[in-house]
Amino acid sequence: MTTVIIVIGLLIYLILYFTYGKKIERDVVVASDDTEAPSKRLYDGVDYISARKEVLFGHHFASIAGAAPIIGPAMAICWGWVPGLLWVWFGNIFIGAVHDYLALMASVRYDGKSIQFVATDLIGKRTGTAFYWIVFFLLILVVAAFSAIVGGMFVRTPAIAAAYAWKIAAALILGVLLYRVKMNFVVATIIGIVMLCAAIWLGTVKGIPLSYTTWMWVFFFYIVIAAAIPVNVLLQPRDYLNSWLLYSGLLIGFIAAIFAFRGFEVPAFSSFSPVLLGGKPTPFWPAIPLIIACGSLSGFHSLVASGTTSKQLAKESDGLPIGYGAMFTEGFLSTIVIVSIAGFGYTALRNAGVTAETLNAGNWGAMFTKAAGSVKLAGPSLFVQSYADMVGSTWLGFIPTKIVKVLAGMWVASFATTTLDTTNRLARYCVSEMAAPLKDSATGLYKALTNRWVASVIPAAIGIWLAASGNWLIIWASFGAANQLIAAIALMTGAAFAAKKLKSSFANVAVIPAWILWITVTCGTAWFIIVVQPGAIAAKPGPGWTVMVLLCVMLVLNFVFIWDFMKSKAYKVE
Amino acid sequence: MVLPILEFFKRILSDFDTAHRESAAALTGVEVKELENIFALLLLGSFIGLPAPPSFLAVELLPFMERELKVLNSRARDAGDMLAEMVGTIGIG
Repeated sequence: MTTVIIVIGLLIYLILYFTYGKKIERDVVVASDDTEAPSKRLYDGVDYISARKEVLFGHHFASIAGAAPIIGPAMAICWGWVPGLLWVWFGNIFIGAVHDYLALMASVRYDGKSIQFVATDLIGKRTGTAFYWIVFFLLILVVAAFSAIVGGMFVRTPAIAAAYAWKIAAALILGVLLYRVKMNFVVATIIGIVMLCAAIWLGTVKGIPLSYTTWMWVFFFYIVIAAAIPVNVLLQPRDYLNSWLLYSGLLIGFIAAIFAFRGFEVPAFSSFSPVLLGGKPTPFWPAIPLIIACGSLSGFHSLVASGTTSKQLAKESDGLPIGYGAMFTEGFLSTIVIVSIAGFGYTALRNAGVTAETLNAGNWGAMFTKAAGSVKLAGPSLFVQSYADMVGSTWLGFIPTKIVKVLAGMWVASFATTTLDTTNRLARYCVSEMAAPLKDSATGLYKALTNRWVASVIPAAIGIWLAASGNWLIIWASFGAANQLIAAIALMTGAAFAAKKLKSSFANVAVIPAWILWITVTCGTAWFIIVVQPGAIAAKPGPGWTVMVLLCVMLVLNFVFIWDFMKSKAYKVE
Repeated sequence: MVLPILEFFKRILSDFDTAHRESAAALTGVEVKELENIFALLLLGSFIGLPAPPSFLAVELLPFMERELKVLNSRARDAGDMLAEMVGTIGIG
């Protein structure tokens, strides 16, 4: 079954790419290589510069792929494996990839301007401002969600924490080799990969057993310091090592899933409303986008696509493999995650101490989240164990399971931790931009807020404080809500671009998914606020109210946006 | 007889005035040019690799800095729209 699903997934993606994707390219965007892309028209040799399709794909994919496409599907397994898989495939093909592709092409037609700029132009100035605020809230929630996840993983498996610490040391050494010693790039790469393997092995030798609270303090100082030091010291060499982890993890996972030849242990469908968020029955619709974010669709991708990718696109026909294709690759990563947990997750839970009476196919929906939490094998930890077991069951079994487990853990932890300090850099920028109106009216406050350290500490402190509350499921769903609200705004902008600027007769290909997404995300967020948040507030009033306020403000901004969208008649296909 | 003489002196005075005005304006023009040079130099002096070159030299060399000026121009155009570029550059995953 594992093999069948992987092959079906691969076929679906290939067929839909060459049919639906090509149709969007041909009939909606009307991509033409006769029109010079900004990389050539506005060539400056620095920002606007053509890149080869393959190189740009790699850069774009590495920028959008992270820990989220792994964590979300691992949680969605409580619905059974079919609903999560369908949302990944459906969302990917009809919403997520369309969203990424339209954001990229809108930006290309707008001289490489961001989707935020396009939204301001097509819908209204308020939409552009709302974008900043929602992104800022999203960044705080990302810090919270990813700190909580990595903290939980480090506590459960100290070997991953140790391997990660060794990897940081390896990245620092690689930075020195590349920029101080100026070593040959290929030689430095080989040394980097050897150091990465050594880090994984050293992690298995001696772990770092610290408490959850201690890890939160470590993360706080780490993200504030890492966000302030020059990128070539840590961020760049570490990201370079991460890309090797990503591709090796994907390749090993793909090979293992193909050769696993294993039936699924997890039921195909448990119930429409299994117990998940805040211990409440969580309906598949509209809550699913709060759980599966990046594997299916993500608002952050619109920023990546319209930030650097659009300025480096050599020609318009490259947009489809990069904008649409990279999202498919990320969806395929989520497919591997679902397959590994569906095939090996139940055994992993049983081996961890969950009895057949506690959790079985009959009570899966009601008991999965509780049972997985009781043995600390929820979300990413369940994926790590299932992935290691899946690899161990194939001819790749010669690699010790302990090593594969740390590799998979490093994969998740590395991307989640990378996200922590990159988001903090972005949040610092957002704080500075949002404080701009105070420049003349409250100079002192403006200066304080835009101070490098203050702007860095604000999002880090709020995020870590929320993470320290320990309720990672609630924080994860809040992050999902914020992310998907941005995706809805970006896709609405893409739809407005197709309808208003391209005047495409097939613009409904974008307009309809945009409405489906907006309605789903808005209902999902409202459901979360009404049903789940009161329980979270009762349990921990401080963090509960903070998340509540963030969500409510975002929801209000979301309605302001849709009001402007309707008023601008940007949805009208002309 | 008297009228042509008066006309003559009037023209002399007028020419005198014009000459003075032009001279003053020319001086101001030089000053404006020099201020423009200094302004360009303040902004772009480092482009030609000299911390404080004579302004005429800097201006003479500026055309060779065309590419840098284009970059600067494009940066200025995108200065208020940096969030997406930052996300694209440092990634989010």
